[in-house]
Amino acid sequence: MWARVAAALAGLWLMAAPSVLGYAGAARISDLIVGPIAASLSIVAMSQVTRSVRWATVPLGLWAIVSPWVLGAPAAARVSGLAAGVVLLATPWVAGRRTARFGGGWRSLWSPRHA
Amino acid sequence: MTPPGWSYNPSTWSERLPLIGLAVAGFAVAGYLALVQLGGIARAWEPFFGRGSETILHSGISRLLPVPDAALGAAGYLVDAVSGAIGGRERWRTMPWIVVVFGIAVGPLGAVSLLLVILQPVLFHAWCTLCLLSAFISVLMIGPAMDELLASLQVLLRERRAGRSVWRAFWKGTD
Repeated sequence: MWARVAAALAGLWLMAAPSVLGYAGAARISDLIVGPIAASLSIVAMSQVTRSVRWATVPLGLWAIVSPWVLGAPAAARVSGLAAGVVLLATPWVAGRRTARFGGGWRSLWSPRHA
Repeated sequence: MTPPGWSYNPSTWSERLPLIGLAVAGFAVAGYLALVQLGGIARAWEPFFGRGSETILHSGISRLLPVPDAALGAAGYLVDAVSGAIGGRERWRTMPWIVVVFGIAVGPLGAVSLLLVILQPVLFHAWCTLCLLSAFISVLMIGPAMDELLASLQVLLRERRAGRSVWRAFWKGTD
């Protein structure tokens, strides 16, 4: 759970960072798109049945790290993107507690092996 | 009854009532914002972002459709609440159609809320506290609603693999 909360907070931070750190342009827009998507995916992944959604933050984390360089953001935005990106990149490896069973889960829908 | 291979029943009231409660709360927030957009309430409650709420609530995007966008959101929450409440504790197998309606209502409503949150600061350089709250409620509902949907889809798939009518199971349920 703490891993999902950390990733959601990283997404929230990206939403706030352009205003707090005062950067504009493409880097701002990028963070305002990546932030809420990462936060939402992390909240959805808090539920055990949709826990695998957590992996979707990995590409977002990679982009959060490289985008300030690619899009020419100031140093503060680079540090901020690196910090948030590392959290989004690393936390999916912490699966968290999974106590419930779901009859083979979503995989059972396309692979009879898991039914 | 627990779905085959499951450790719990996703259709019990203790699973569904919190979601119905969230949908009712979302309906209240979105309904309030719709009243602001329609002019029934002069100004939205806005503790953090100054004139942000007014900018967002009276933006061009919010008027793209014949009805204000918050009214659509309120209608969506109403569908969530009603489709969350219909059916008994076994509805994952007795009423797959309502579970699918519920899943479809919760999923895309959450996605549209997220899209609106993204558009606010990007297009209008403004935020709106209650719009963010509404989006947060939508996103909170998605994960907890998906277990029932999975159980119903597994029922339909079992019927198909057993050579029985999926159509019939979808509307009439199974034993």
